[in-house]
Amino acid sequence: MSGPRRLLLAALALLPLAWPAPARDVVPPQRYGRVVLGSFTGKAKVPAVAFDHWRHRALFTCRLCHVDVGFAMTAGATKVSASTNRGGFHCGACHDGKTQVRGKVVFASCSESGRIDESPACRRCHAPSDPPRLLQDYQAFAEGLPRKGIAGGVDWEEAEATGKIRPLDFLEGTSIPRKPLKMEKEITIESRGAWMANVMFSHRKHAVWNGCEVCHPEIYPSTKSGSVKYSMFQIASGESCGVCHDRVAFPLADCERCHLAPVR
Amino acid sequence: MRWARTALFALAAAAALGALDLPGGGASLPVRALAQQDWRKEFDDVCSKTQDAMALSLEELRSLLARCDKLKPVIEKLEESQRKVFTRRLQACRDLYQFVLETREKP
Repeated sequence: MSGPRRLLLAALALLPLAWPAPARDVVPPQRYGRVVLGSFTGKAKVPAVAFDHWRHRALFTCRLCHVDVGFAMTAGATKVSASTNRGGFHCGACHDGKTQVRGKVVFASCSESGRIDESPACRRCHAPSDPPRLLQDYQAFAEGLPRKGIAGGVDWEEAEATGKIRPLDFLEGTSIPRKPLKMEKEITIESRGAWMANVMFSHRKHAVWNGCEVCHPEIYPSTKSGSVKYSMFQIASGESCGVCHDRVAFPLADCERCHLAPVR
Repeated sequence: MRWARTALFALAAAAALGALDLPGGGASLPVRALAQQDWRKEFDDVCSKTQDAMALSLEELRSLLARCDKLKPVIEKLEESQRKVFTRRLQACRDLYQFVLETREKP
């Protein structure tokens, strides 16, 4: 085989590598932060629960559900079941038909009946996906709330700062009265790429919704500077910041919301 | 004889109402309920300090860890739903105290 022909073949062989990588999917805000709870639903022959974080996030802090109510940050680790709900735990901590949130009684979850059609409340959570209804609900919910970022999701921080949402951080009978957390420390995390601004991590912004236990030590087992090594690849795989960001908290595509510090 | 009968009746009534914890027979309902309140009270007290964890002394942190460890077997004996929820909650609270202790001991 002649030299130019060999070169051409080699170039053709390398062509797929030069193909542009597909762009990351931008999840529309109405589906952003959706978690499917289905560990036991198959056995019970009921549809899985599609839990939308946005429906609850305007009402409660992350800490209230993930620390006080005890929802784990890892899929399947909570072991939520109809029985725990009926016992007044997990979803049942609020969804008991008695608890009032902002003056409204929260509907009861999980009836004693094994038949889903006997209780209309079951269908409010155990329902097959209905995209038009979901979009309609989201639009009604997000109307008047500030938006930010590539997907145009709700800017929760701004919404709280302007009094448009007031997330509760205490649930009677479940929460423990605690002093408000004072954590003002800001941390600069050096960016690995010289073209990218450093990350300004604000403890205040994170602690006000999460408390300490959500992140330490499960997600961040050390506070010693430089002891936890992470890259954007790891974050995008769901580690470190990626436990929340790109799943429930704003997406990684909104680079400038974390990479704030000026490039030296 | 009459006073003895009255005393026996009073004892039986007290036992039936659960005011006494009779040996061998296990605790009666109100006594158990009180014990249940006790573990919850202890849990609330032990885990109420997570927000202040960084301000606690090493001694206070060690004492809280010991209390968490003492509470764990009590929680493990609770009915399934309570056990699931409070085991997780206690672990999160214990882990945080341990984390703060280690951070402070090896800065």
